[in-house]
Amino acid sequence: MRDRTLFGLILAGLILLVILNLPESVSGRVKGFIRDAFAPLQDLVASASRQGQETLKLARGVSSLTAENQRMAGAIAQLRLRQSELERLEEETLKLKHLLDYRSHAPRRLVTCAVLGRDATGWWQTLRLDKGADSGLRAELAVTTPEGLIGRILTTTARTSDVLLLSDPKCKVSALVSRAQAFGIVAGNGVTPQGLPSCRMDFINVDRRHAVQNGDEVVTSGLGGVFPRDLLIGRLDNVKTNESGLYAEADVVVAADLGALEYVFVVADERPGAPTATAAAPAAGAAGP
Amino acid sequence: MKLLVMLLALVTGATLQALLPAWAWLGGAQPPVLLALVLFYAWTSPRAGMLGCAFAAGLLQDALGQVPLGFSCFCFALAGLWAQRHREDVDEQAYISQIVFGGLAAALVTLLLYALLRHAGAITLSFGGALRKTLGTALLGALLTPVMFRMAIGLERRLGERPALDHGGRL
Repeated sequence: MRDRTLFGLILAGLILLVILNLPESVSGRVKGFIRDAFAPLQDLVASASRQGQETLKLARGVSSLTAENQRMAGAIAQLRLRQSELERLEEETLKLKHLLDYRSHAPRRLVTCAVLGRDATGWWQTLRLDKGADSGLRAELAVTTPEGLIGRILTTTARTSDVLLLSDPKCKVSALVSRAQAFGIVAGNGVTPQGLPSCRMDFINVDRRHAVQNGDEVVTSGLGGVFPRDLLIGRLDNVKTNESGLYAEADVVVAADLGALEYVFVVADERPGAPTATAAAPAAGAAGP
Repeated sequence: MKLLVMLLALVTGATLQALLPAWAWLGGAQPPVLLALVLFYAWTSPRAGMLGCAFAAGLLQDALGQVPLGFSCFCFALAGLWAQRHREDVDEQAYISQIVFGGLAAALVTLLLYALLRHAGAITLSFGGALRKTLGTALLGALLTPVMFRMAIGLERRLGERPALDHGGRL
């Protein structure tokens, strides 16, 4: 009995060693296989969750109407319910139209993706999207919303992609304060206890340290080759000079709401013949080096 | 059949874990759904079954996140072995056992994963941040483990793997 237990533990240890020492390509394929197998289920659950939220919103409207129903005839209540449903639909249509307008006017080819979920361990600030290599996506592509940049693709499988959000400490973006022509690096700083994304910008131009101020718009500089230029990142806050007194640093209030993302766009490539302009609204006056 | 029920529980648990958000005010703690299932099988299955569950749960967690493949298998297997070692000392059906072991196992796994990920250079989280996350995960583990035990028992009962409640109301 004791021998069997020992044998079992040694076998388990060996299996673990094999798993831990799998070549990266093999472990990537294993992870990709599991992720792709889970994608339809996650898609289903994410859709159900979205539907549930919409229904809850509707139910809240219905419960407020219930009090009115006691005083009014049933027919009027039905009309109101219908009206609230129509309003919801109108709101949704406007939202989708906004997204469609953004997509069709962007100078770059954008791939619309639904958000399936977030990192299942909580160690990273990542999102999982419902499209992957089969849709032409690959690692290092920028991911944005009409409000602004949210991050870059970290890994892809055939049917899913993982996005590293701006708030993750491993996400670094070459950025520019266009008004002051000050360059720097925006890096993630995690999430505040209130759940808000936290980013900071370290400026690299010594001569520009006094030129930047709170509220200045931060856009991607296009340097480094990962992010296209002029994608809006956010606005500066709490600008100060660092301990050496040579460089400026600041917090960045991210323009996009990283906590409530349902649909995002992956910036796939430039549209043929399109002028290079602001893809993420509204980084007016942005100019790169 | 028992294996299929376990797989179904793990797939459901993994989907649930991926759906539930991380709690920012608890240091980004994620509800440890899969770990709670490992604990359940540590107390209701033989060692081979528990290790199989720990490996499968670990693979699922690593595949659904950015953790290198195998890290969670190792942590879950250790937590499962530790829980199984104390199986005779506790009443596995008592809430208090589930709460205490759920919290402690969650803390153990979070600290172990932190050490492994930090050593591998995969994360840059400070020790203070990790400690907050550990305490947060321990709290969530303590709250979630009894719930997951009930859900797993309910699933086993529905699928005919477990008899109905006895007269004393025991699970």
